[in-house]
Amino acid sequence: MKIKSLLIANRGEIAVRIIETAKKLGIKTYGIKSIKEPNALYLRLVNDVIDFSVSLDEIPEFLDVEKIIDAARTLKIDAIHPGYGFLAENPYFARRCEEENIIFIGPSASAIYKMGNKTIAKQIASKYKVPLLQGSQGNVKSVQEAADIASKIGYPVILKAAAGGGGRGMRIVEKASHLEKMFKMATNEAEKAFGDPSVFIEKYVRNPRHIEFQILGDRQGNYIHLGERECSIQRKHQKLIEESPSIALDENLRKEMGLSAIRIASAVNYYSAGTVEFLLDADKNFFFMEMNTRIQVEHPVTEMVAGIDLIEWQIRIAEGQKLAVVQEDVKLTGWAIECRINAEDVQAGFSPNLGIIEKISYPKGKNIRIDSGVTDYSVITPYFDSMVAKLIVHAETRDKAIAASTAALKKFWIRGIKTTIPFCLAVMDNKKFRKGDFNTSFIEKDMDKLFYNDVEDEMLAAYVAAFDFAAELETNRTTKPDFERGKNISPWVLNKRLKSL
Amino acid sequence: MKLLRSKKGNENDYIAVTPSDAKYVVRNPFSEDLRINGHKQEIKIFEDDEGFTFIEFRNKKYLAEITDKTQNKYVVLLNGVSYSFTIESPISYRRRKYLKKYKQANKLEVVTAPMPGKVLELLVEENARVKEGESILILEAMKMQNEITTQVAGKIRKINVRAGDSVTKDEVLMEIER
Repeated sequence: MKIKSLLIANRGEIAVRIIETAKKLGIKTYGIKSIKEPNALYLRLVNDVIDFSVSLDEIPEFLDVEKIIDAARTLKIDAIHPGYGFLAENPYFARRCEEENIIFIGPSASAIYKMGNKTIAKQIASKYKVPLLQGSQGNVKSVQEAADIASKIGYPVILKAAAGGGGRGMRIVEKASHLEKMFKMATNEAEKAFGDPSVFIEKYVRNPRHIEFQILGDRQGNYIHLGERECSIQRKHQKLIEESPSIALDENLRKEMGLSAIRIASAVNYYSAGTVEFLLDADKNFFFMEMNTRIQVEHPVTEMVAGIDLIEWQIRIAEGQKLAVVQEDVKLTGWAIECRINAEDVQAGFSPNLGIIEKISYPKGKNIRIDSGVTDYSVITPYFDSMVAKLIVHAETRDKAIAASTAALKKFWIRGIKTTIPFCLAVMDNKKFRKGDFNTSFIEKDMDKLFYNDVEDEMLAAYVAAFDFAAELETNRTTKPDFERGKNISPWVLNKRLKSL
Repeated sequence: MKLLRSKKGNENDYIAVTPSDAKYVVRNPFSEDLRINGHKQEIKIFEDDEGFTFIEFRNKKYLAEITDKTQNKYVVLLNGVSYSFTIESPISYRRRKYLKKYKQANKLEVVTAPMPGKVLELLVEENARVKEGESILILEAMKMQNEITTQVAGKIRKINVRAGDSVTKDEVLMEIER
């Protein structure tokens, strides 16, 4: 069935991204307006806005299954794209769509359920001979049970939320004495984030690389993988920089891991786009971690090297179309790097930097792609995650991609909030990162300084402050009272004012 | 008074002092004869069509923004990185140095919230002794649980928050006596 209308049950940059492809395919788009972000960019780009801002419900708007289903039914919308986060990996939501004859852009409810439940997912992986880490058979119910298993497999161990993802509800336990506290924190966090306190335990691999494979499957049972993404630049399990391909893989390993990913997907009759995540240890052994049954934040790096539109394929597969390519036809060219531009203050421990984007200007270039959810005067609220945009750069080689990313980051200008741009620049400038010698502990271990600056920067900043102070002093001395109290006046304006006296 | 008798500095000097007491003596900020720490520098400030303020220095452009300013205290964002300064005149700078010398070492350490969030759990009680690096509180921000640790060893003198409280960035959570 051809999809003619699409409800996007998401916000931010991914809503904008989905709108773009829908427009290309001639699909009418609907967006959800929330009271928390009534002037968001995506709402200006959709064909129609569904207003959820009038009532103040207990359930957040993007998580309100029945309200979203109801809106789609009332407006006779063909399909719903959940984006990532929110309801993207909620099997109940996918099933409700199936029941109401609304096309859910993603896999079946049963595939989401099986892969979303880490215990079942691990049983499937083990059945299909995909390497796994030692750990609990299913969830651990008590601290005592966790302690027994941990002493058997040896510390360090990691506690993970069974319903988890995105790094939440995950705790590493270095020794037995920390177990009780960490168990409490992990279950608390799991309960908070996913409404389910269950956790499981597994052996913790020190300093692994995070390698994930993008797969595509259709409803006819055909599968391809589109190579890997390396997402080892993480802070507290939150990815900050991703690239494709990975410098750690050779053709053989790529083939082996890709086939493992496809085996897992086909085991649950998976269709749509999906990602199989692996840990890769220093000896290049890989272990299945989990499968993400949705489009991912970092999907653009794969799109750049594979030259395909993954959202388009999600929609085509949802319509029942067959994959147009077989594995042998998949050609991956060049190197792509994605830098996440988050509204965070790197100098204050990456704390959220809320505020208003007074002005934003993007770098331009043939191989530069910007996926952004904001524009001038967008408000960064505490209600949603802190990512505002992604910078994706594609080049022939890794070295060139790093150089091009550096140049682009230096022309990515934002006024009004602090972002992770200086952090991304510091990574691009790091010797070990440039050499490809890094893993998931890179930020803690291999970065002396979390932000990039040049030796003269402090002096120049001092000059700006001194200039402004002197200019204001001069103004006070020679003119009437300054009713704006010098607030938010750029030194340049003050300078001009002085000259025109 | 000894303090004021010492030789008068150049009245066109503006001294930007960093939190770690490094100083930049900016002389003649508006003139061609700009000097910083005695060296002649060519720096231009200009605004582009889009409304961004830039510094031009040695053929390079730097994005600049004053993000906070209270009297003589400044926070300048240069290429996305914050720098804090106090601007002093030659006289006030000498007074500052003098006062610093005689100021008692502060025995009270305050622990502030590094980010806005909700206090989930207090891990210590008032009057408890804590070691450096010990976790004292769990703060939930953006759905992540963060352990807040103390940078100093000492006695918890006062706890200003309770579990369930929402706090803003830089809000004082606890006071610790060294």
